[in-house]
Amino acid sequence: MDYKLDKLLKRVEKPGRYIGGEINSVIKNPKDMDVNFCFAFPDLYEIGMSYLGMQILYNVLNKKNNIYCQRVFAPAPDMEDLMRNESIPLLTLETKTPITETDFIGFTLQYEMSYTTILNMLDLGNIPLYSKERGNDYPVIAAGGPCAYNPEPLADFIDLFVIGDGEEALPALLEKYAECKKANMNKQDFLKEACKMEGIYVPSFYEPEYNPDGTIKKICKLYDGAPHPVKRAIVSDIESADFPVNPIVPIIEAVHDRAVVETFRGCTRGCRFCQAGIIYRPVRERSKENVLRLAKSQLVNTGHDELSLLSLSTSDYSCFEELAEELICYTKKENVSLSLPSLRIDKFAFDVLSKIQEYKKSGLTYAPEAGTQRLRDVINKGVTDYDIFNSIEQAIILGWKHIKLYFMIGLPTETYEDLDGIADIAGRIIDMNYKINGPKGGRFNVTVSVSNFVPKADTPFQWESQNTADEFDKKHNYLAKKLKIKGVTFNYHDNKTSAYEAVFARGDRRTGRLLYEAFKAGARLDGWTEHFRSDAWERAFDLSGIQADFYTVRKRSFREVLPWDVIDCGVSKKYLINEAKKALEEKTTQDCRFGCTGCGMNRYVKCAMDGILEVNASGKGALKDE
Amino acid sequence: MNNRYAIRFGKDGYIKYTSHLDLLRMFKRAFKKTGLALCYSQGFNPHPKMGFAQPLSLGYSSRCEIIEFETRMPHTTGEIMEKMRSEMPPGINLISCIELDEKIKSLAADTVAASYKIWIPTNQTEEALKNALKTYMEKEEIVALKRQKKTKKMEPVNIKNMIRKIEIAKVGPFAMINAVLDCGSKSNCSPELIISSFCLHCNINSPRYEVEIERTELFFVNNLQF
Repeated sequence: MDYKLDKLLKRVEKPGRYIGGEINSVIKNPKDMDVNFCFAFPDLYEIGMSYLGMQILYNVLNKKNNIYCQRVFAPAPDMEDLMRNESIPLLTLETKTPITETDFIGFTLQYEMSYTTILNMLDLGNIPLYSKERGNDYPVIAAGGPCAYNPEPLADFIDLFVIGDGEEALPALLEKYAECKKANMNKQDFLKEACKMEGIYVPSFYEPEYNPDGTIKKICKLYDGAPHPVKRAIVSDIESADFPVNPIVPIIEAVHDRAVVETFRGCTRGCRFCQAGIIYRPVRERSKENVLRLAKSQLVNTGHDELSLLSLSTSDYSCFEELAEELICYTKKENVSLSLPSLRIDKFAFDVLSKIQEYKKSGLTYAPEAGTQRLRDVINKGVTDYDIFNSIEQAIILGWKHIKLYFMIGLPTETYEDLDGIADIAGRIIDMNYKINGPKGGRFNVTVSVSNFVPKADTPFQWESQNTADEFDKKHNYLAKKLKIKGVTFNYHDNKTSAYEAVFARGDRRTGRLLYEAFKAGARLDGWTEHFRSDAWERAFDLSGIQADFYTVRKRSFREVLPWDVIDCGVSKKYLINEAKKALEEKTTQDCRFGCTGCGMNRYVKCAMDGILEVNASGKGALKDE
Repeated sequence: MNNRYAIRFGKDGYIKYTSHLDLLRMFKRAFKKTGLALCYSQGFNPHPKMGFAQPLSLGYSSRCEIIEFETRMPHTTGEIMEKMRSEMPPGINLISCIELDEKIKSLAADTVAASYKIWIPTNQTEEALKNALKTYMEKEEIVALKRQKKTKKMEPVNIKNMIRKIEIAKVGPFAMINAVLDCGSKSNCSPELIISSFCLHCNINSPRYEVEIERTELFFVNNLQF
C-alpha cells in the first residue's frame, strides 16, 4: 500500500472511490504490456462506474494479452485539494500508476458539462493541457463517446477522437499503436497512421478558416492523408460483438449497481431533438437467446440482485414480450429484481409492471416532451393525447399514486399555448384521479419536470435557435404559476448550465479557449449543482471573449459550414434538412420500422429493422409475417 | 439443524476503506455467487439472514472480523470456506469458519470486548510513553469527549472502567498501544476515545490521519473461540 495515498484516504469523504480492488477488476503487470491504456471518466467514481460503455471497453481490451486497460475517475474536490497539497498525481485505480506513465488515456464524453473536468484531470496528472505542448514523452490523449460527434471544443486538447462504436475501433487503434511503438515511430507518425482508420479524427490535421461574421468559411486539411469527412466507426454485427459477462462490481455503492444487458443499439423513432436517435443508427439487436445468456452469466458472475435492460427504447425490442416474460420468470426464481427503463406504457407494459412489484413504489414515468399535439408533431414525438391519458388512466386504476412527467421547453416554434398544454396535462391527470379514486382516494401526486431544450449536433434541430436565459426564466415563472395545482410538483433545470451546455454542444474550435479559462478560474464537476461555479464561468467568458449568443441563440442557415461537418455520422445532411423543414410544417415522419424514411444510413450498413412492421387492425404496429 | 455459521476474516490494505454497509453488500453478492443459499427474513422486504458481530470503523484494519449467517441447507465449514474464499476482493482474508451452536443467540449480542493495536507517530521515548500511560491510568477518571448519538453534541464520558487492559511500547517512530476495550451493546469504548484522551494527556500532536488502528481480537461471553 502506498503510505502517502493511505494518509490522504483517511481524510476524505468516501475513500472507497479511490481504492480499486473490486471483484472482476483486472490486475496485470504494466511492465509486461505492449500498451498501457487508461480509461478516464471525467466525473466521480459512483457516476462513472454506472456507465456500461466503460464495462464494454474494459472487457474487450483486457481480453488482449498485450493490452492493459486501467481506470481513472475524477477525484471529488476534497481529494483534489489534498492531492494538490501533497503533490500526489492522479493515479489509476488498478495499480496506482500515475496516469502520465501510461501510453494512452481515453476520456469518455458523455455530457458537455464534464469538459472542464477533463482538463482538471490532465492537470492533476501533470500532463500539459494543449496537445501541441505535449511531446513524445506524454501519453496519447484520446476521447470518444456521444459528445465526440462535435469534437471541436476539445480539438486543441485531444490528440485524437474515436467517433462511433468503440468496441472494435478502440482495440484496433491500440494494436496499431503497439505496432508503431515497436517500430519506434513518434507520436506524429502514429497519428498519421491512426487517422486512416475508421472513426479516427485527428484534429491537428485540420484547421477551420473563418468568415468575417465569425462563421466557418471552410475546414482546411493540414495533412493530405487525413480523411474529410471522417466516417464514424460502426459495429455492423452486434450479435457477435463482445459484451461483458464479468463486469466490475463496485464495492462502494454506485448510482446504478446492477447487471445490465444492452438489448439493442439505435432507435427507429426519429424524434427531432434527439441526438442519440441519430448517432446510434441503425437499430442493431442482440438475439433474445443472447440477451438471456448474457443476463444470466452476468448475474452468476457478479452476484448482483438487480438486472436492467439497456437501450434507447426498451419496448421497441422486436421480441420484447417473450424476453420480458422469460426474464420475469428467471429473476423471480433467483431473487433478483428486474428493472425495465423507458418502457412504452401500453397494455403489455401494465401486465409486466404488475408482475414487478417495486414499480408502484417508484411511480410511473411518462415523457410527452411537449404540451400540445402540434408541438409533439413538430418534434416528431409519436405520442398522442389519447396515448397519454389512456395510459395514465390505466395506471391510476391499477393503483399508481405517483406520476412523473417529463417535458422540454424552448423547443422550436414553441408558444405559451404549448406551455398551457403542459399545465393542462398535469391538471387533467389530477382530475382523473379524483374521478377514479374520489375525494378520499389518498395521497396522489404528479411531478412535472421541465428541462431546457439544447440543440445538438447531428439532429434536425442543429440549426435552431436556443431560448435566451430571459426567455427560459419567463417560461419557468409562467409554468410555476400555471402549475400551482394541488398535488402537482414542478421542477425545472438551471438556465446557466443549459446555455453553457449549448455553447459546447455546437461550439467550434474557438470555444476551447473558453473551456481553458473556465478550468483556470476553478470550474470543474460542473454537472453537480454543489460544485458548479458560475463566477468561474462568467470570468471565463470575459477572458476568452466568447459570445455565448453566437453559439446558442443564433439561428444558422442550412448553407452554413458547421464545425462538426468534418464528421460523417452516417445520417445524411440532406435528410436532416428535410426533417428540419418538415418540423416547421408540423409534419411527422414515420418510425422507419414501418418503411425506410431515407436517412442515408443504409449507404454504409444494412438496416435490419427497415420496414419490419405494418399497421394492424387496431392501428398499432405488428411484426410483418414473413 | 439450524445451519448457522460464522466466518472469521481479516481486513487489510485499501479494503479497510470499505464501510460496514458496503462490506455487507459485498458478502451478500458473494453468497449469491457461490450458491450458498441464505435464509431470508419473512415480511414485505425480505433480507438475507447475515450480519457482522461488530461493525468496524472506516479506515481500521482487522484480524478478527466475524460475519454470522444462516443457510437454507447444511454445508461443511470446509465447503463454505472454499467457495467463499474465491469470491473475496484483495485484502479480505478468510481465516476460519465455525458452526454456531443453537445456544448462541447472536454473536453481536454476545460480544463483550475487543482488542486493538494503535500506532501513533511520536518522537517521545519509550520510557516517557510508559510513564505517561502509567499516570493516565492512575487518574481517578479518564475523561474523553464522545459524540452523543441523539444530540450530536460532544459530551465528556469517563472511560476508565471500559479499559480492560492497556500497554504501550515504542516501535520505530510509533507509540504502539495494545488495548483491550469494552465492546458491544452493554458497554462500548471506541479506540478513538483512547487516542484523543491519551494524546492530550501526554502532549502528542500527531494528526488523526497519521494514526493507524487494527482490531486484533473480539471477545465473547462464554469465552467462545475462533
